[in-house]
Amino acid sequence: MQFNAKDFNPHLDGPILTKRIPCWPYADPKGRHVVHLDEYLKTGGYNGLRKALTMTPEAVVEEVKKSNLRGRGGAGFPTGLKWTFLPKVDEGKDPGMRYLAINADESEPGTFKDRLLMDFDPHLLLEGIAAACYACRLKRAYIFIRGEYHHQAYVLEEALKEAYAHGVFGSKGLLNGTQTAGGGTWAVECYVHRGAGAYICGEETALLEALEGKRGWPRIKPPFPAVKGLFGKPTIINNVETLCHVPSIVEFGADWFSKQGRASTLGAGAPPSFGTKLMGVSGHVARPGTFELELGISLRKIVEDLCGGMRNGKKFKAAIPGGVSMGILSTDQFDAEMDFDIGRKCNVLGLGTACPTVFDEDTDMVMVARNIARFFKHESCGQCTPCREGSGWLYQLMTKVEEGNGKTKDLDLALEIATSMGSMPGTTICGLADGNNWAVRTIMNKFWGEFEARVKPSYVPVKMTIGAGAR
Amino acid sequence: MAWITKNSAGTVVEKRSEPYLTAAMKADLTNRLLPRFETTHAALLPALHMIQHEYGWIPAQAMLEIAEFLKLDPSQVIDTASFYEEYWLKPKGENLISVCRSIACEACDYKAITQVCKDKLGIEVGETTDDGKFTLVEVECLGSCDSAPVALVGEKLHEWLTPETIAKAIDDVKAGKAGHHHHGH
Repeated sequence: MQFNAKDFNPHLDGPILTKRIPCWPYADPKGRHVVHLDEYLKTGGYNGLRKALTMTPEAVVEEVKKSNLRGRGGAGFPTGLKWTFLPKVDEGKDPGMRYLAINADESEPGTFKDRLLMDFDPHLLLEGIAAACYACRLKRAYIFIRGEYHHQAYVLEEALKEAYAHGVFGSKGLLNGTQTAGGGTWAVECYVHRGAGAYICGEETALLEALEGKRGWPRIKPPFPAVKGLFGKPTIINNVETLCHVPSIVEFGADWFSKQGRASTLGAGAPPSFGTKLMGVSGHVARPGTFELELGISLRKIVEDLCGGMRNGKKFKAAIPGGVSMGILSTDQFDAEMDFDIGRKCNVLGLGTACPTVFDEDTDMVMVARNIARFFKHESCGQCTPCREGSGWLYQLMTKVEEGNGKTKDLDLALEIATSMGSMPGTTICGLADGNNWAVRTIMNKFWGEFEARVKPSYVPVKMTIGAGAR
Repeated sequence: MAWITKNSAGTVVEKRSEPYLTAAMKADLTNRLLPRFETTHAALLPALHMIQHEYGWIPAQAMLEIAEFLKLDPSQVIDTASFYEEYWLKPKGENLISVCRSIACEACDYKAITQVCKDKLGIEVGETTDDGKFTLVEVECLGSCDSAPVALVGEKLHEWLTPETIAKAIDDVKAGKAGHHHHGH
């Protein structure tokens, strides 16, 4: 197999996040292996961190802010801007304890991109962590990794040992006590912290609760974590892929980064979709997998050209753009462009994790809605009543419809419940219920005929003629 | 569904004389884990992982011992332990088979995989075989959707499963060939 990579990534000279992890359209994934420190260093590893240390922390934050890097965990919040929410540190003053929590709790169905980075290039994440800690004046970093990622936690632990020995972390760390442009040296401790099976811990404040040893119940904001986070101290929470972008942005600059991807298509002033994104395709395609692509590429191009089309020559029916909470792209939205504008343009919640799950013409959309409703019912943390109860109701209604026992009014009820639960209707603390409601609602609305055909009418039809013909 | 109420007031804790939280575990907590955190509470997830890794589940006595060691109330320990799905508060089989049932795996027919497990082991989902060798569960997304359907057998992820390959994975465990994964908690 061979691809012309420029065909997919016109502004790139080569892969960035997947420089050391073979992925199409660049290289055959068969050649993947864990990149240890030696190989990482030989291939330009830790150059970004070295350069960061020659800049003041403020300059590093400014560069990331200027790049318009947006969070890769699903929400797309500008990373540099988030970093500026930390309390200011006076020059030469000790900021006290401040934390970085790395969100490696990748648990959203359909999403498996961070796993790739942790599986094969753990030092890229560690370099991103080190650079972020320097830029934001953070002293400790916890990689909060989901419990089911046994192998990935192991790979990270091994890489951490190498990084400590190489002078990246520890009391003599940030590259063996280099005198930084920020004045003096900077030391960071970094730990792997394992979760124990709870999707909600991917929500940033639930993650902090879990780190503190408590049940993963999201906190009411404000206060925001940047001000009052882990153990009540200023804390930054970033996704794995987001941090993996940081070393190259520092090394090659914000201008380099913003030549990849594209500006917003929604007009001036709308936030841009710069850079590349890991896109992991699953479902009914011939060759599923993870690809590094510039934001803005169309779903059709990914599926038809990179994934070898639909499996068994079937037709495309629908896709989830990036994790089940985002809602669904309908059959006529196959040309949807994968960037942060997709929410506004295609009536989905957003780009999410940009890992599309694709369905062929034989897929029962009621099954899809039921499966997703079950997921959210199972994963609701139970703190807010509209989510705890609403998710159960939606699952029951979807099951009823799937089994052929539903009535028209069940569909109306499902839509009414879905519309009333979430942080956007303002009835819950976190966004879990928003994901639930967008998923169920958009599947129902975009495939209404399928749902209607499955239910019996709630009314008894009465034969009656009204108007001129009446007698 | 962590929010289901539990009959904890009526719980009688079965005790054995030998502690579950061993001296070695206490030393590991003191030397390696506790220095990482501002509070002892934060070492709770690692402590629970430690117990589960050693015994396969978390007995009530172990939770009491953890509470005492970390200077927490027992209620704080069970509050956390009962929230997270990975912690087993009752014994499970030696080998846990977790079949993924989330959307990509359902689209790729995970049900056939569960069926093979049920038939081969003679148990339903959620049950343990009489000899205590296997427990079968269905779980939400394991984060490997491109290789659906998938299942964890112990700590090892099996990808691109077919009825034949999951049957072989079970046979391998029965024959003692699979072995444990390379590390602990």
